Amino acid sequence: MIARLVAAIRDAALATVVAFGLFVIMVGLRTEVSPSGALFLQQRWREIGLLCALVFVGRLIIALWEIRPHSLGQSPRRAAFTLKLAQIFAPALMAAALVLPFVPGVDRYWLDLGILVLTYVMLGWGLNIVVGLAGLLDLGYVAFYGIGAYSYALLAQYYGFSFWLGLPLAGILAAFWGVLLGFPVLRLRGDYLAIVTLAFGEIIRVVLLNWVSLTGGPNGIGGIPRPSFFGLPFNMSGEPDTFAGFFGLEPDPIHRVIFLYYLILALALLTNWVTIRIRRQPIGRAWEALREDEIACRALGINVTTTKLTAFALGAMFGGFAGAFFATRQGFISPESFTFIESAIILAIVVLGGMGSQIGVAVAAVVMIGGFELFRDLQEWRMLVFGAAMVVIMVLRPRGLVGSRTPSIALGERKAIGASHVSEGRG
Amino acid sequence: MSAALQTAEAPKILEVDGLTMRFGGLTAVDGVSFTARQGEITALIGPNGAGKTTVFNCITGFYRPSAGSLRLHRSGGVAELHRLKDHRIARAGVARTFQNIRLFPGMTALENLLVAQHVPLMASTGFGIAALLGLGAYRKAEKAAVERAIAWLRATGLLERADDPAGALPYGAQRRLEIARAMCTGPTLLCLDEPAAGLNPRESEELSRLLRDIRDGTAAEREAPTSVLLIEHDMGIVMGISDHVVVLDHGRKIAEGPPALVRNDRHVIAAYLGEEDAA
Repeated sequence: MIARLVAAIRDAALATVVAFGLFVIMVGLRTEVSPSGALFLQQRWREIGLLCALVFVGRLIIALWEIRPHSLGQSPRRAAFTLKLAQIFAPALMAAALVLPFVPGVDRYWLDLGILVLTYVMLGWGLNIVVGLAGLLDLGYVAFYGIGAYSYALLAQYYGFSFWLGLPLAGILAAFWGVLLGFPVLRLRGDYLAIVTLAFGEIIRVVLLNWVSLTGGPNGIGGIPRPSFFGLPFNMSGEPDTFAGFFGLEPDPIHRVIFLYYLILALALLTNWVTIRIRRQPIGRAWEALREDEIACRALGINVTTTKLTAFALGAMFGGFAGAFFATRQGFISPESFTFIESAIILAIVVLGGMGSQIGVAVAAVVMIGGFELFRDLQEWRMLVFGAAMVVIMVLRPRGLVGSRTPSIALGERKAIGASHVSEGRG
Repeated sequence: MSAALQTAEAPKILEVDGLTMRFGGLTAVDGVSFTARQGEITALIGPNGAGKTTVFNCITGFYRPSAGSLRLHRSGGVAELHRLKDHRIARAGVARTFQNIRLFPGMTALENLLVAQHVPLMASTGFGIAALLGLGAYRKAEKAAVERAIAWLRATGLLERADDPAGALPYGAQRRLEIARAMCTGPTLLCLDEPAAGLNPRESEELSRLLRDIRDGTAAEREAPTSVLLIEHDMGIVMGISDHVVVLDHGRKIAEGPPALVRNDRHVIAAYLGEEDAA
């Protein structure tokens, strides 16, 4: 017992030294402006001490309780438990999402947050096809989101397309670009694929930024048409050919927000439905097989290139749908909205949720995007709290919230497959 | 011996002619020619580094041969394997297993066997639309695929483990599952790379029986006899089940013939025991 304590303290002390080395530069020194206007270095030893103490205590707890990645979240029993929990949790989450607009006390702020969260749920599910199922690390997913948004915005601006016509076209165009990018890129593997997709995401953004004559460059595109309720516009006039007038309601701006909320909920559920159906099909099984072992796939006669392309195209299509929705919701888009950090957030949602798990991704999106809002009061500490939360989750559940996999078919009972057997894919 | 009699008559299934594979300056396989015949088990043996796996990788399309030709004789005609890409070779009717098992560890045994039937299943999905909506033609095809998978699970004694992840199966079971997976592609020629490696004597005995049944078409219901090409180190198995043996050493063929003949061949003994070669 004493020996273990000593070992734990030594371990914690070592971690503290490393933390000190990092924090001295990142936190300890800060350039401030003196009243005379000159810059000077402010030393912040108190903050460093606080952070180092935190690291020491945290590491001591981890070492003493033997919280080790390999001991958690991998046994079949634990996998079955997670699955059961998810089975109860999924309908509850679904029901909550359905009734949210009518819960008393839910105002415009909550609905807007709900729309934001659902947009990321949809993007997470879309990327989950590429990263979670097919095992292709895509760091430029935001490009397809951007292509979808700009496709709809430009079609509306130049040709006056309505939202309901622009939405499928935006998805198709995004899928088309997915295939176009996929052809040269998908022969690359793992890290190389990640770098090229990252570059693709940046290229799209830079093109949008610099092609001023078409996209308006950094000024973006404004006045994007709002969606109508299947032909009935939302406006305040209250005439019979508007939404409020047709249904005999008092005109209220909240109608449109509620409609947008249900629209993105429907789009997200469509993504989910297609993914769940496709997982039980030959193509979905081929994606997962590709993630497990590409060479074995080739030996079984599976055309690896087209199989990867379909995953890429389908993921891109849902990204495009989400983009079109984003454009119509905001009414204004600019390249600012499609930076790399968006790709990183979507990927973090997928990884945190557990690659390949639909419910895991949904929960991760709620936690991440919702958490981001909750911590708003913490101002500049928000990122720190957020980062710490992610580290804790990754220590406790290294394969994401739901790391286990449900078989697509079974002769008897469907048993969850522990994360230790499932591969992450190497591109 | 009936096997020896067959050798003279049985039609060709795989014709390897002047196969050469160079990696830079190293010639791993040098002008190897041999023929595998229908309804036979052909064994490819030789000391370590003789070029057996390289020959295998050429046949299954993982390497493109530097020279020579590979012809697969099927009912529909001749496929020139040296011109095809790997997944096309698999579709042409060559299935393989790997020296270090390559299953899909996170998928169940049943799923592994369904992935093997990807090509015919894909054809029935109508670009995925029919399957997405759950239409009849696809349902029928999937049912047939599951039945075939069950037949092979039964043949390899894995039916009780059908819903377990492949990665959780014991080693011997993983070897058998890989063979079952290869057979589910409905091949004309089954290529096995050291299937008995790491098996205990009882498992090796079972494997021999399974391979004989695959050759005779009695392993699973409604399966046609399948010719087998096999790399193996376990001489007990090789001599026990093969109808024809090809011996490689340093990338060259040094002997060929029925097992009884090859066993007593001077060059073969020299290659294996490292004696000074008089020839």
